Amino acid sequence: MVASVTQATGSAVLCVDLTKKLVSRAGTFDLDVAFSVGAEITVMFGMSGAGKTTVLECIAGLMQPDSERVLLNGTDLTRLPARERRIGYVFQELALFPHLTARENIGYGLRTLPEREKKQRIGEIIESFHIAHASDRKPRAMSGGERQRVALARSLVIQPCMLLLDEPMSALDHGTKAAILRDLREYHTQHRIPVIYVTHALDEVFAIADRVLKIANGKIVAEGKPEEVLSEEREQLIQYLNAAR
Amino acid sequence: MNLVNWQAIWLSAKLASIVALILLAVGVPLAYWIAFTRVRWKFLLEAVVSLPLVLPPTVLGFYLLVAMGSRSPVGRWYDGWSGHSLVFSFQGLIIASVLYSLPFAVQPFAAAFSQVDQRLRDAASLLGASKMETFFRVVAPLSIGGIVTGMVLSFAHTIGEFGVVLMVGGNIPGVTRTISLDIYDKVEDIDYASANHTAILLLLFSFTVLAIIYAVNRRLAARWLPR
Repeated sequence: MVASVTQATGSAVLCVDLTKKLVSRAGTFDLDVAFSVGAEITVMFGMSGAGKTTVLECIAGLMQPDSERVLLNGTDLTRLPARERRIGYVFQELALFPHLTARENIGYGLRTLPEREKKQRIGEIIESFHIAHASDRKPRAMSGGERQRVALARSLVIQPCMLLLDEPMSALDHGTKAAILRDLREYHTQHRIPVIYVTHALDEVFAIADRVLKIANGKIVAEGKPEEVLSEEREQLIQYLNAAR
Repeated sequence: MNLVNWQAIWLSAKLASIVALILLAVGVPLAYWIAFTRVRWKFLLEAVVSLPLVLPPTVLGFYLLVAMGSRSPVGRWYDGWSGHSLVFSFQGLIIASVLYSLPFAVQPFAAAFSQVDQRLRDAASLLGASKMETFFRVVAPLSIGGIVTGMVLSFAHTIGEFGVVLMVGGNIPGVTRTISLDIYDKVEDIDYASANHTAILLLLFSFTVLAIIYAVNRRLAARWLPR
């Protein structure tokens, strides 16, 4: 498996090859994936329980796989602990620190920077994600969309080498979702890093994906452009919407 | 006649303050380990820490008396080092009280730590924070209610302890005679008026402590939850 990843390294930026066996009361689950992605927005699409979150957690170093190889521009991240991988990560639950304001949340990853540079970086990202009005609020006093933007800003302000998003928009309405995806796309145009965006929502795939990895039962079953990989699902959705009229 | 023995009150307050501070220093790392470790034998340590909750104080006091007495290695070493005995001394009382009040600090600490969402610790880690930084900037601030509860409970429990103090400390005025022993002495002397005055003070103190704990926890719980 590693050989195929190495071959794919050519123009790719991020190469991942990992296996993980999860044992629970429901049975065993075998994850075995190998893929490579460039500095584009790749959507990992799959139903609940397909293994999407496990893949992200292994890449980020939050979960220990049985075997793993994560190469970023040829650099092996495999043995690095999560805190040294410099990966931006947005959790499904966002995981904003509830006792800190938006500004403090965003600045958390910049503790070691000189105060002036830290302020400048925080100011810039707050402006990029349109959250200046909420910067002194704690998460409990923010709307869902504001919390989402703060979580994105917090993960990007550290200038990560890649961004992993785990179903980040699942709790948002379409209008807010579209606006945030636009901001994310704009950010990505300026900072070309590999982005892996996990979702099972088709609208998000077609709104943001440059490329799709389709995952089912712990395996990558298809990859390519969204309209190629998910043509069947798109047709089903259109039929469903037409029938509902 | 002096109805309240202020010397005993001062001694108890001093003892309880020192014990609460020691338990903060010792109990926090222990509770952190209990809250987050995945080792299989964790339950054994939990049982040891909780033992003083169910053990009769006289049993604990007896074994501490034996362990710290001048015939034990610890007692002999302390005698040689300090020139006086560890049992029937204020220092011995501190050690006994720390062990006796250990679960009253460690359990609230551990319960509070384990309630901090794993995702918050993951997020801190991904933002470059070490475990120590994550503890001081995320886990501890979000566990402040449990930390305050543990501190206050261990302070209050030390103020009111009787059996262990009597066994390990004896009943030496100004050295080991705490407020509970003072009440006991007064009852034995059939001086009910003085005993009553001191007992009322302890009763009010205990009520105030519990009221503070509930008020603090209620306020802190409301602080982080979404509206």
